[in-house]
Amino acid sequence: MNQRCKDAEAVAPSQTGEAGAPGISRRALLKAGLAGGLVAATGGGCASFSEALEKAKSEYVLILDLNKCAGCRACEEACNQRNHLPEDQSYIRILSRGDEENRWYLPVQCQHCHDTPCATVCPVDATYEHPSGVVLVNEKTCVGCKYCIVACPYGARIFDEHKGVASKCWLCLDWVLGGGEPACVQACLKEARIFGKRSDPQIAKLLASGRAQPLHPEFGTDPGVLLYIFPGT
Amino acid sequence: MAEHHWGWLIAIYLFLGGMGAGSFLIASVFELSGLRYKYDFCPTSLAGAGVSGPLILIGTVLLIFDLGAGMREPWRIPLMFLNFSSVMTWGIWILSLFLPLCFIYAALELMHVEPGILAWLRDRQKILPKLLRLVPETLPYRRLKLFVCSAGCLFAVGTAVYTGVLLAVVEAVPFWNSPVLPVLFLVSAISTGMGLSFDLAATMAVPDLHDRYGKMPIVHMSLIGLEVALLALLMILALVKGGEAMESARMILTGSQSVVFWVLVIGLGMVYPFAFHAYAYTRHKHSFVPSLLAGAGVVVAGLFVRYLVVASAIPLTL
Repeated sequence: MNQRCKDAEAVAPSQTGEAGAPGISRRALLKAGLAGGLVAATGGGCASFSEALEKAKSEYVLILDLNKCAGCRACEEACNQRNHLPEDQSYIRILSRGDEENRWYLPVQCQHCHDTPCATVCPVDATYEHPSGVVLVNEKTCVGCKYCIVACPYGARIFDEHKGVASKCWLCLDWVLGGGEPACVQACLKEARIFGKRSDPQIAKLLASGRAQPLHPEFGTDPGVLLYIFPGT
Repeated sequence: MAEHHWGWLIAIYLFLGGMGAGSFLIASVFELSGLRYKYDFCPTSLAGAGVSGPLILIGTVLLIFDLGAGMREPWRIPLMFLNFSSVMTWGIWILSLFLPLCFIYAALELMHVEPGILAWLRDRQKILPKLLRLVPETLPYRRLKLFVCSAGCLFAVGTAVYTGVLLAVVEAVPFWNSPVLPVLFLVSAISTGMGLSFDLAATMAVPDLHDRYGKMPIVHMSLIGLEVALLALLMILALVKGGEAMESARMILTGSQSVVFWVLVIGLGMVYPFAFHAYAYTRHKHSFVPSLLAGAGVVVAGLFVRYLVVASAIPLTL
């Protein structure tokens, strides 16, 4: 068993499917909405509805400042090393955008969506949302049909030939739950990756400014963890 | 890119599932309408009933071969019945219920055509005496087939439509994300079923097939015409949609896949069989080799329609 599996089982047992996955799902959100709507309709308790909605948001957020990203691929390299990925595969893709005079880079990885097309199409329900908001793949039940890889609009999933399962960024959740940061954040030379809890003052300030936006919100997947500060904003 | 993950195996799986379902439907229509009993021997019913089960089984085995961990650890496969939000789960349920019906229909049709099979079974007293005592001297084949075909038709339509819905729900591939796809795959399934069990099987089994034509060429021409119309609609909608959907359509119409599309799908698989059936119907004349070619063309087109759809997937641009 490689280091990643050990880490995952030690810190995030629900990733293996043994401890269940009681994440805030769309169903929970719907229930919260229905309950909140009922309470509001009867003339009180709007606060509980707001709380339910607030809980439904991811606890963690990773903001990528594209004004700073130099496309050096240090994040990609660190991620590959951390996850022992083969040379031709990566959880992070660095896309080049703009023209020669105004070149900028767009790192893409799993957006940890709330409305996950990858989970919807999975026939074995192997993709689930951890309470932290991080979307994980249960490698013990995944059959490797690749439907999720095809269905992800961000192209964020890869097929792990060795294990025969779908794989993707798991935000180094073992390190994060232990108080650390994902490997990509630690490796970023330009400090273009800002990571923390939504309640952290620096993060909260950035979120309140409205500068951090989801990538392609029109895809309708409601990205939960990753946000971007686009060039010029 | 989506096409790197789902390739030929998935295209063949979709094709075999569709053609198996189409063959079952054609045979069932012959059975339920009474056409099956118009002559002493009906090769279309026998072929349609006989091939549907094996075709779908081979397709399912291919799907399993395409799995990663599920192939290495098959005990994971039963989990695929559990997530009803997944179209793949719907398909697995439909196929699992349809497959036994296909084999039951094939067995009934075979025994009906060759009553000696039942007598032979009853003679195997030494092997399973207690079980074989339960085998009756004859069976009410027509009544049994009425039930199997009626139920099976629903699952056959479900199977053919499912192969299209599997792709059509994928919003990440705009070209697939079209309501036309399930309808196209359904019509193509019926057409390939007809090509296999009528054009190919009946041509090989019955020398004077033109005496049995009836309206059959008109039916097949209508199916081919409908398929062409649906293909055109799929392409037009993709071109109008723009972006990646338009790129996929262009790849098929004028790009790297255009030779396959115009020669194998449109030329060999649609124009030629349409012309052949029109000629055969108006001249009331049946020719052995051209009929086999028409059947083979329709079948090949069915395979390549699915291949083109799978291979021309262009994911959303980020």
